[in-house]
Amino acid sequence: MNTIDDFLLLVETELGLRVSAQEAARSFDQLAGWDSMHLLTLIAAVERSSGRQMSLARVLEAANLEEIYLLAARR
Amino acid sequence: MDVFEDRARTRGQSPSEPSGGPEELLRLHRAGRLAAEYPRVKGLLADLPGAELARAGQLLTRLAPEDVLREHPGTPAMTVAITGHGTLSALRPVLTAELARHGLLSQPVLADFDGYVFDLGDPGSALYATDPDLVLCVLDPMVVFDEVPTPWRPADVGRVLDEKVRLVEQLAAKFAARGRGSLVLNTMPSLRRFTMQLVDHRSRARLGALWREANMRLLRLTDEFPSVITVDLDPLLAGDVAASEIQMSVYAKAHLSSGLLAAYAREVGHLARNIAGLTKKVLVLDLDGTVWGGVLGEDGVAGIEVADSYRGEAFNEFQRVVKQIGAQGVLVAAVSKNDIEPVEEALREHPRMLLRQDDFVHVIANWRPKHENLAALADTLNLGVDSFVFADDSAYECGLVRYALPGVRVLALDDEPTGHVTRLLEDGWFDVRELTDEDKVRPVRYREDLARKSFLDTFDSIEDYLRELDVRVRLAPATEAEAARVSQITLRTNQFNLTTKRLQTPDVHDRLGAADSPVLAIHAGDRFGDNGLVGAVFLRRTGTALHIDNFLLSCRAFSRGIEQACLTALLHHAHATGADAMFGTYRATAKNGMVKDFYPRNGFRKLGDDGATVTFRHDLARIAAPPEAVTLINELGADAS
Repeated sequence: MNTIDDFLLLVETELGLRVSAQEAARSFDQLAGWDSMHLLTLIAAVERSSGRQMSLARVLEAANLEEIYLLAARR
Repeated sequence: MDVFEDRARTRGQSPSEPSGGPEELLRLHRAGRLAAEYPRVKGLLADLPGAELARAGQLLTRLAPEDVLREHPGTPAMTVAITGHGTLSALRPVLTAELARHGLLSQPVLADFDGYVFDLGDPGSALYATDPDLVLCVLDPMVVFDEVPTPWRPADVGRVLDEKVRLVEQLAAKFAARGRGSLVLNTMPSLRRFTMQLVDHRSRARLGALWREANMRLLRLTDEFPSVITVDLDPLLAGDVAASEIQMSVYAKAHLSSGLLAAYAREVGHLARNIAGLTKKVLVLDLDGTVWGGVLGEDGVAGIEVADSYRGEAFNEFQRVVKQIGAQGVLVAAVSKNDIEPVEEALREHPRMLLRQDDFVHVIANWRPKHENLAALADTLNLGVDSFVFADDSAYECGLVRYALPGVRVLALDDEPTGHVTRLLEDGWFDVRELTDEDKVRPVRYREDLARKSFLDTFDSIEDYLRELDVRVRLAPATEAEAARVSQITLRTNQFNLTTKRLQTPDVHDRLGAADSPVLAIHAGDRFGDNGLVGAVFLRRTGTALHIDNFLLSCRAFSRGIEQACLTALLHHAHATGADAMFGTYRATAKNGMVKDFYPRNGFRKLGDDGATVTFRHDLARIAAPPEAVTLINELGADAS
């Protein structure tokens, strides 16, 4: 996963939710079709795709998808 | 396997490979076509591995059931509610996918976090307001450890366990009092991160015993309440599934792992399939490479692998499991590309063969394509091919059957026979709520049916046949002891089922307990033997009218005059007990077209048709004579009015 577009494609295939890069910066409560329950599914998918474990506590504190992407892309 | 398949394999031919499921689902989702193409979804999900099934489930949770029902009004739908202690959001998509995998449409309702006590305890709760067919109350170890003090001893855990199990018992009683639907509970896994907090082995053993005693009480609730099912999570955890993931448990309060919830959802999917009346009834087996090793036509009866060799032992184990399944009401049949004579000889004379001719309801061995043989078998048994599970070690045959008969559930075996048992049992294809007496004798009854059919071929007219068949029918109020079998008739019968209203055992008990809704049982027998309880009639009396809410007859019993004999008796009974009219209804499904004219053919006049339900009325003035060839024992006393 090298770009935010890769990440957003994962969001779409895993959650059935199409989000643009612009929308990814919106807070979760402003994001149409988002449900807090999706977060756990997304984390599991990101971990599967990157092969690395993320700190769930950090992800749970994220305010939007962009922040999750940055956590996932951090090396 | 046979030479034709070998040739097909070397040419790389395969009529239909189940591939591209996830991509196609995503394409349909993007194009907004999932609702329109819903009947295809079942096939696309059929063989998806766990992670992909969960992903597909996410797409499906975005689907509105109303949209699917608008496009495909006949889609079987079900209301499922999920409640419990921890975060259960991971369960919803996998469960949606598992249900869709069986063709069932559902959008499980997820109740509020940790709300199970209120959800189940308060008859006015939002959960009960959804009028669920199935309620999952998911219990996890934190139900207990969230309330254990620090520091703790086994006795502290024992005390909380006792409180919680008592609470669940009370909730189960409340649920049972509601009189509709099923409640699914589960055992609570024991976690090492707690057992290891006790440093001495004696205390650890004591904790283990207390924990298991609590789980035993949860399991035994199944005996106490017919509407409760407790899923034992232990066998699911014996594979490579983790019980819990620490980060998810601590940070997200999701105390059971997603893998465990997925395995649990699979079990629930099969239960839901049974409740929806979509139970598989027949296990059809290939022979060469499936039931025994080697090729009978080449190796001969003495040369096939059945026991006493490495691979022979594996086939022996598979035969043992097939025999075990066949002893519980599942019809086992064989469809093999072979000549019939050596097959019969192998089943009759091979000294180490465990499965014998009598273990099969029917053995078909010839050189016709297998899908044709399966269709013929369905015809012979008077069942739909969608009640079949077909197992074969040939990828070619599996592909061909999948392609030609999409309703058949195909189990693709491979050339490693130790895997056959796992493949057969990994899905609960034949899962039912409970066994009835009927299940134990079903194969015998079907074999008698086949004898009946050969007998029929010797007559010129159906009347002569019926006279010689000497059909005897007993129509009587159903007893409490017969409730499970009556429920089973409503769940298994698709053809002679006027309204296709499925009832679980508690629903039947409920009707038996009410004075104005009698349930009648139809028992039948003939010169070939006793058919047992083969049908049911659900009546309802309002004022001076008697309504037939539903009339059902097992596919083994219709077209012998039994239905006419019973209906005539009912009409006379209505008249004799002061009714001035009898009403009947018909609701069309994909399977019950044969009874569309059942009422008009028997003197009822059509009253109305709202597109889904057709209603009929009989004024009881002129009641047709009962069929001559049927002897009816009428036990409709005043009780059945």
